Amino acid sequence: MIGGALFALATATALAQHDMTQHHGMVMNANAEMLPRDCESISTEHEFTVHAGAEYAAGFPGTTFGYSQREFLVEPCSRVTVTFVNDDAVRHQWMVHGLPRYLYPGGMFHLEANGGSNQTGSFIVPSDDRTYLVHCDLTQHMEKGMKAQLVVGRGSGDLWAIPGVSRAFNRDGYLPSAAGLLVILAAGVGGALAFALRRIV
Amino acid sequence: MRRWLLLGLIGIAVLSVPPQWYPRTWRAQWAEWFGASGYQPLPASTSVEDAVPEPACLEDLSGWREGQTIDGVAILPSPTCIADDPYAVAAFVRGTNNVSAQTLAASGLTADAVEKGADLDGDGDPDEIHIRLEVVELNGGSPELPEPATQYAIAPGIMPGFWAFAPKFVGMATENFESLTARPSLRLPSPAIRVEQGDRIRITLENGHYMPHTVHLHGVDHPFVDVDGEGNDGVPFTSEVPVMPGAARTYEVQPRTAGTAFYHCHVQPHVHVMMGLQGLFVVEENRPNNWLQTLNVGAGHVRAPSQAVREEFDREYDLHYLELDSDLNTRIQNTNDPRLITESMHRDYDITDATADYFTLNGKSFPYTFQDSLVVVAPDERVKLRVVNGGMNPIALHTHGHKVTITHRDGVASPLGARITRDVVALAPAQRLDLLLDTTNDGLNAYGSGIWLFHDHGERAITSDGIGPGGHISAIVYEDYLGPNGWPETLGVSWDPYFTEAYYRKELPIWQAYAPNLFTQAGVDVWYLLRLIVLAACLGAIGVLGFGVLKRPRA
Repeated sequence: MIGGALFALATATALAQHDMTQHHGMVMNANAEMLPRDCESISTEHEFTVHAGAEYAAGFPGTTFGYSQREFLVEPCSRVTVTFVNDDAVRHQWMVHGLPRYLYPGGMFHLEANGGSNQTGSFIVPSDDRTYLVHCDLTQHMEKGMKAQLVVGRGSGDLWAIPGVSRAFNRDGYLPSAAGLLVILAAGVGGALAFALRRIV
Repeated sequence: MRRWLLLGLIGIAVLSVPPQWYPRTWRAQWAEWFGASGYQPLPASTSVEDAVPEPACLEDLSGWREGQTIDGVAILPSPTCIADDPYAVAAFVRGTNNVSAQTLAASGLTADAVEKGADLDGDGDPDEIHIRLEVVELNGGSPELPEPATQYAIAPGIMPGFWAFAPKFVGMATENFESLTARPSLRLPSPAIRVEQGDRIRITLENGHYMPHTVHLHGVDHPFVDVDGEGNDGVPFTSEVPVMPGAARTYEVQPRTAGTAFYHCHVQPHVHVMMGLQGLFVVEENRPNNWLQTLNVGAGHVRAPSQAVREEFDREYDLHYLELDSDLNTRIQNTNDPRLITESMHRDYDITDATADYFTLNGKSFPYTFQDSLVVVAPDERVKLRVVNGGMNPIALHTHGHKVTITHRDGVASPLGARITRDVVALAPAQRLDLLLDTTNDGLNAYGSGIWLFHDHGERAITSDGIGPGGHISAIVYEDYLGPNGWPETLGVSWDPYFTEAYYRKELPIWQAYAPNLFTQAGVDVWYLLRLIVLAACLGAIGVLGFGVLKRPRA
């Protein structure tokens, strides 16, 4: 609601300024040449092919969508080229946040692929050790498993709730309906044992 | 010693019994003997600090409210405070595959969101329409956040979780990376769909949600199976298996009759429809050069009406009513695991025990309804209102200052001689009415200029979880009562409290703002409270001591 106008203007500007292939998706803020201020040269070339879709959630109970790879380790000042392959029939994204805003508007590098299509783009990471969020920003896709991390150098610590990497900060309870009864029963058994031990001792 | 202590405690306990607890006959006898008790002032009023209101209406920096022509599409001015994105309107009219790259970029839509093809009947407008819809979840759960993800408030601080069909927009679902607020285009209700009678319509559901869904075209002329023999009715146990997460399905229709219809998910509809997967579906009469605004995001004012509507009416509004049961709508916030959510929503939740708590018009509750869901009019106009009741209870829609005429029921025109004009119109669940709002000041159709409310006269619907004014209250506002920023120039009390979360959390005395001496918060009766605490303490001590006193000591 509030800020809608500014949001639209910003979106329009961002989209108009950056590379797009809208019929099958888009690549936003691709940057294969301009070095971050703290890099003197490209240190390493990294190429990743990442698949996305519901099938990649299979190994992670309680998720619906997923990436084929959920952690990307790169050296500082490296050039990262990602080919994003969408194996579903719906849109997915591979979006990195926290990059320097003077190079990447909004601090973002973004691949978006329509169902059954793919997109490729490159970007150059800065020199500092840092862990960047990678996710799909369609509603609930990140929450339901489509989350990864890009670790530059030694990184800055794992992010929460990445399937296969880190646990959920808010972990749901997975208890049987008779859990309350079991707890009471256990308390009774514990008390009885203590009483018995007291007699024995 | 213990007995004396016990007696003392009993005495204190008796003395601390509040006088208002004494039997009425005792007090009456006392008054007869000694007269009334002396004056004891009641607790003084305590003023509750007013919360800082959010701005009711921000300046239109984008110029979206102005009438304008974009890519050759004439877009009507939208006089309300918040207007629909005119670039999206232009893209919906021309087709996202036909507008300029600049307009498409400004709209934020994908190039395939609404594709328009050939003019099959040669009358100057496209007759092949392909609409792609996604499913969004707003105010949903998160494995990390303590608050809802991708937030959308229906009123200050009120964020029930819900689902909606949505057009395809590129990029982020939120305003930006630092914000949890959903981008303005992602909202309730699902967009109103407009197609032309006889057009070949394809609607592809791209189900990016974690639950299975379908599209059922309620009241729209459609075959049970499509040309390939695939189910086309959207009902999982009669026509097709539902569209699973990550999958897509295309529904095909070529409606032979015009009228106001409905569309909704038909998977576990008692839950999915009530979660918001429903929208208006309007089939417009065939006319030459009939370029339609295929989607009306958030319903409300139609900024590019059809030729048929232009012929008969000065303005057109889509009015979509939906009520929400917080017992249902919070379930997607309480857990994140789709298995647990499914169990909670589809096995534990019992709609037969349901009670609606929130009532929305075009996805908003009062006071937000005044930002974008007013019916703005001028004198001597004919205004078309297309109304749908998406809730589970009937609506008795009352218009202040006007009597409306029911011209169509469920998309079927009423014979001219049988049309009813009244100021309360009833809508059963899923029912649609086309209403003629005639603003001729003749004492029947209208009573003149002003700010005239319209709302369900089932009074709970004018509250938000019991707090009024709330619910789906909106208004018919004449242009001469509308400020330059699109906000109605009301004559009554300040609206500041209504634009605070505290008001809807039930923390503010409702009339404090303008009757502070009469209706501020009553203070606490400290002496009453003290007596209760002393009494409770004495009774506790008496119990312990009494047990000890009466207990026979061991030999």
